[in-house]
Amino acid sequence: MDGSIEFTMGLSQGIAWPWPIAVYLFFAGISGGALSVALFIRFYKQQTENTAFLKAASLMSLVTISLGMLCLVLDLTNPLFFWRILVFYNLNSVMSIGVIALSAYIPLVALVTLFALEDEIRKFPALRFLLPVIAKLRGVRAPSEKVVLLLALSVCAYTGFLISALIRFPIINTSVLPALFVASGLSAGAAAAKMLAVGLFKEELHSSDMKVLHGIEWPIMAAEILFIFMLAMSLFTGNAGMQSAFTAFHSGTWASVFWIGIIGIGFVGPLLLNFATSKAFSHSAKALYMSGMCAVVGMMCLRLFIIYAGQNHGI
Amino acid sequence: MSENLERRRFLKCLGASSLIIAPLGCSSVEEEGESDQPHYTMVFDQNKCTGCGECKLACTTANNLPEGKSRLLLEQQSGGVVGEVCPHCGKTDCDCQRKYVRVSCQQCKNAPCVTVCPTGAAHRDEKTGIVTMDASKCAGCKYCIGACPYDARFINKETDVADNCDFCLNSKLSKGELPACVQACRYDALIFGDLNDPNSYVSKLLRVKDAVRMKPGFGTEPSLRYIPIVKLGV
Repeated sequence: MDGSIEFTMGLSQGIAWPWPIAVYLFFAGISGGALSVALFIRFYKQQTENTAFLKAASLMSLVTISLGMLCLVLDLTNPLFFWRILVFYNLNSVMSIGVIALSAYIPLVALVTLFALEDEIRKFPALRFLLPVIAKLRGVRAPSEKVVLLLALSVCAYTGFLISALIRFPIINTSVLPALFVASGLSAGAAAAKMLAVGLFKEELHSSDMKVLHGIEWPIMAAEILFIFMLAMSLFTGNAGMQSAFTAFHSGTWASVFWIGIIGIGFVGPLLLNFATSKAFSHSAKALYMSGMCAVVGMMCLRLFIIYAGQNHGI
Repeated sequence: MSENLERRRFLKCLGASSLIIAPLGCSSVEEEGESDQPHYTMVFDQNKCTGCGECKLACTTANNLPEGKSRLLLEQQSGGVVGEVCPHCGKTDCDCQRKYVRVSCQQCKNAPCVTVCPTGAAHRDEKTGIVTMDASKCAGCKYCIGACPYDARFINKETDVADNCDFCLNSKLSKGELPACVQACRYDALIFGDLNDPNSYVSKLLRVKDAVRMKPGFGTEPSLRYIPIVKLGV
């Protein structure tokens, strides 16, 4: 910054990665998070039946990762070049490693969803052709669930590693980002799958699965707050470039997204809904949907904040 | 006995899997250049640049870029041009010295764009070590643009792929010519040559002149050197 010579212009004209990338990071986080939580519960409680939450989480995971891929492809300068990423690899590149992980993850999520939704598939005549496939692959169900759990967590973390490689932006180039994205993916993924489980698969509001979920939500949220605090403090106490990036937290449009979206809606919202309301309300379906939406909206704001505030505060 | 067989089978599997896994470690990108490779360097002398912009025009023509687009920019840092505000003091009429600086790919030895590129489209040319693009591999993901600490890469709207200054590798160097901007500069503000050759003009120049690199804190080791205007009082 104090060099004898410096230039401040750039050739790229604008932000390299705009909002579709933030939406992709959001969808990939929900997908990995929802499936991880469902499989954690499945292994922890040694479930063998297809619970409503597993059905909801795997369906949610499949749909969100597909939408995420759509965002990713549409953000390429020419979406028809997509095949090149699948054909050429550079193992030094985080993105290339992510492509390898995703190309194993997506088919496995589809497979896990098939197994989980077997009963539903049986009900729809149009989907019956899938039943022999399920019957044939039943033997690989247990191993594929174990592998997909690992991949789901990797996908969440990968979205953090992917952008933290951009060394020009102090908010993005931090080592806590993958951990933050795993934590926020788990909490928003669990919230999204919970809403789908109650809404579509008629899960009871106070079933034993839901009780486990309620129990793990708060520690994950605490971890998330801690990671965001770590990120902010490392910038606040860092070098000149980091300190100038810290202004993103208190001035400009993205500061409002941070305080209203992430802190207000994402953290304070669910806390108030659960602890500041009457027991009758906080145990109702309405409260579940409202705090679930808060978690999801907060996560989307977090991704937008990191992508935009990050790229607006380069060195 | 059975234990022995198990071990033998294990060793066999180990051998076979190493044959399969070892090639996976070979990526399509070579980071380390050979020692007898040239190290092409460009020097921008701020004392000589007048901001005429001929280098930009020459770049556009030589590399068939869309009109008005070039792989380099000239940033005016101070000094008034008739009718324009001085970027340094903010006045339209000032006594500041007119100062320009070249903005372009810094040709880093440790290039983040090459590391992050998922397809190996942003790569180092085997013979010259110059960072260049293989347009047929680029997927247009813009990872290289975000990763470049100098914001020196852009999307070529005609080809839809990323682009950067590669010292005119394919348009001029391969024909034995100097880069188009160097040829076009009438004030000798741009000097180009092989730093690994002790007899080249750049080597001799950099031995006696103080030159700096842009944003050395990123550790990318750029091959572009700048000779800044330094005034030691009046």
